[in-house]
Amino acid sequence: MPKAAQMLRQLAGCGLAWAPVLAAAALLAAPSLSTATLLKSTLWLSFGIVALSLALVWGVAGIFSFGQNAFFGIGGYVFAVTAINVFPATGETLTAMALGACAAAAFAAILGYVTFYGRVGDVYLAIVTLSVTLILYTVMSSTAGPEYHIGQAQLGGFNGMPSVPGIALGSGELGNRQTFAFAVCLAAALYMLLRFLASGRYGRILAGLRENELRMELLGYDVRLHKLAAFVIGGTVAGLGGALFAAWGTFINPAVFSLPQAALVAIWVMVGGRTSLAGAFVGVVVVQWICDQADKVVAQQTPLILGVMLVATVLAFPSGIVPSLSRLPARWRKATPAGNDVHVARPAGAPGAAARGRLVAQHLGKRFGGSVVLEDVSLSFGEAGIDAVIGPNGAGKSTLFGLLTGRHAATQGRIELNGADITRLPAFRRARAGLGIKLQVPGIFLGLTVRENIALARLAPRAHGGAGDASAVLAATSLSGKQDLPASALSHGEQQWLEIAMIVAQNPSVMLLDEPAAGMTRDERNRTVELIRTLSTQRTIVVVEHDMDFIRALGAPVAMLHRGVVFRRGAFAALSSDPEVRDVYLGRRRHAGN
Amino acid sequence: MPGLDGTAVIALSVLTSISILLLTSLGLAVIFGLMRIVNMAHGEFLMIGAFTTTVLVRSAGLPVWLAVLGAPLTCALLGAAVEVLFIRPLYGRRLVETLLATFGLSLILYQAAIDIFGQSSPGIGAPGGFVEIGRYTVSTYSLFLPAAAAAIVALLYLVFKRTRYGLLARAAAQNPDMAAALGVPVRRVNLLTFVLGCALAGLGGGLISPIVAVSPGVGQSYVGQAFMTVVTGGPAFLLGTLCSSVLLGGVANVVSQMFTNLWGLSALLVVAILLVRLLPHGLSGGWTRGL
Repeated sequence: MPKAAQMLRQLAGCGLAWAPVLAAAALLAAPSLSTATLLKSTLWLSFGIVALSLALVWGVAGIFSFGQNAFFGIGGYVFAVTAINVFPATGETLTAMALGACAAAAFAAILGYVTFYGRVGDVYLAIVTLSVTLILYTVMSSTAGPEYHIGQAQLGGFNGMPSVPGIALGSGELGNRQTFAFAVCLAAALYMLLRFLASGRYGRILAGLRENELRMELLGYDVRLHKLAAFVIGGTVAGLGGALFAAWGTFINPAVFSLPQAALVAIWVMVGGRTSLAGAFVGVVVVQWICDQADKVVAQQTPLILGVMLVATVLAFPSGIVPSLSRLPARWRKATPAGNDVHVARPAGAPGAAARGRLVAQHLGKRFGGSVVLEDVSLSFGEAGIDAVIGPNGAGKSTLFGLLTGRHAATQGRIELNGADITRLPAFRRARAGLGIKLQVPGIFLGLTVRENIALARLAPRAHGGAGDASAVLAATSLSGKQDLPASALSHGEQQWLEIAMIVAQNPSVMLLDEPAAGMTRDERNRTVELIRTLSTQRTIVVVEHDMDFIRALGAPVAMLHRGVVFRRGAFAALSSDPEVRDVYLGRRRHAGN
Repeated sequence: MPGLDGTAVIALSVLTSISILLLTSLGLAVIFGLMRIVNMAHGEFLMIGAFTTTVLVRSAGLPVWLAVLGAPLTCALLGAAVEVLFIRPLYGRRLVETLLATFGLSLILYQAAIDIFGQSSPGIGAPGGFVEIGRYTVSTYSLFLPAAAAAIVALLYLVFKRTRYGLLARAAAQNPDMAAALGVPVRRVNLLTFVLGCALAGLGGGLISPIVAVSPGVGQSYVGQAFMTVVTGGPAFLLGTLCSSVLLGGVANVVSQMFTNLWGLSALLVVAILLVRLLPHGLSGGWTRGL
């Protein structure tokens, strides 16, 4: 039995225990509720489900979408059309519900594919989803004519579709009480499903996306795919909510696509607290209750009240109800197991199994518009353990780094990693092939703990080899004792080390470090030199720096860029005594040409 | 087979659609392009512009030409108040928050319009009568709209290229910290930009008010298309929006004439979504410079 008990405790840790309890209580109470209460509760549950979908997409995955009520409406319309056609023959509407969810999912997939694979920014997603919703509103409103019908179902234009069959499991439509029970079960099941997703490995990936998309990409995660997946799951859930809504009212009209409705979903989630899935339901209850009460005082002013609530929440209370409440027992919640897998058994094979890799640039060139920034650069990294690339400002260091990491596309030349051509690969594929990348600005997940940061790096997909062992890095720095602190609490230098530890956990064969000592104290810088030296016994390391003391201390062979070409190669001492190199750094004209 | 006159009428209709799309998008484009703020109340500013014109014509008895000029004034004043009360406290917060705050404002303005004017209101006729093109007659106003749109774009281009404000606004848009460090009064410039965007929205609403049914929901029926136009226009907020208006407005109008308005609108949506996928940075994404 201890196993069962442990499982139960784990469930409680994910917040999964009290949802079935609440659902059971609701089911038990159902017989004694009045018809009005039953109807209103069922409606609010359908609202809660669409709010839940936005809490997942926005609160967990960090994608703000106005599309949730479009998916809700599509789920409702497809349910209505299918149910009207199928119900008389089969006596059930579950198929219609499933179809509604599928249609919403498909629509979310198309929208998500366009926006995430087009890599348009977050604001654009909000605008695109809102425009699509509004245009759906206009389109559905203009389907009044008798020619707009699908099978037996008249779309009905602005007036909508009446006489939609309710929920039916095979033997006729359910009554109000059974429909309520169905809604409770559906909402509880969806809540637990999303909660489960959000607290497991997938949830950690979504949190990574929310906190730092670029770092996820550099770790080797296919950011587009994961965002799309979250968006489609959200769309499916919203579609189910819409189907329930249409079945509840036996009616649907284009108002589900209207601007106030789009706002409403956002308001529910804002008020409940977007970072909490349970907040979605709390938000619905609070907001709808306020609207109902206000309606008794001033009738027909719902948009006004919603607008005031939205503005007030954004300006005065941006985090919402549930997160504010749950901050109280936060200490108690810290005891829950959260990614203890940092120090669990090392992956099969020797620690640090990655062999030294080889990164080769051949005749690499880059033009931005008319200006040539990099020309015919051929460099090969891998023989020395550590290689350094230096150059004065504007020499082309950053551009070279951008080409190697996949941020820029090369206009000519070829990049090879361990013999494979990676010139055209996106950043996450390079990461999977064994390229570890550290950018200048610390690319860590500030909202997650040190342990969770490293767990995300260990979980990152890679082409071959197990996860790397970051514990040596943690031990060599001051991070071992700070594994449960949020990364935002670390000093600037510690954040740089954490990023290096994450890259090691990713187990790359080549590590590209852009100014790893930027902003460090002298002591931190010395430790970083030691750390890089230790790591270089197993991996190839390329450091791009302009801190000359740091390069000197590393004692690595140096390639110096100047005006977009390789100006000198050799040992640091040889370069530093070279008068031409000095002239370049001092900006003297004499040798600055070629 | 339409003759020369028929072709001219069709072309004029395409031109009118493009102008309407452009006029209803410019205010949004200026605010988004220069401040990276999504003004969700844009549709309501269009609506307020349209109502201002209608009221000035019907109650004050002004001629339409004069009444249209009242629209940007009203919207500019309102826009200044909105910037100070709602936008300024949110600078530095995430984009979504200004978006939600202006969304709330949009709902408030919408309901206020219903409370004041009711769900629909009597319109004003298009001024200027009709002209004959071969066998057809078209309203003079549909000839005037494209001219007005072209004049506004040209004027805006000059403002942003030739005036001190234009230079400061573009500087503040590209690098606000640097601009502030150089002594650009970023707050005042932002206020001006927001007011300009609202005034443009009002002017757009005023100009289309003689040819649409003016109601509190009129803005909402244009704002979706306006958002799509601005997104597909890309970073060059003036000429990019012009290009996307030509493309989207043209497609929507041609499809509408072949089938129905419903198909025209759907075509606009489909083309816009395809554009977002194919050219994520908008039509002007590849331009190295421009407004």
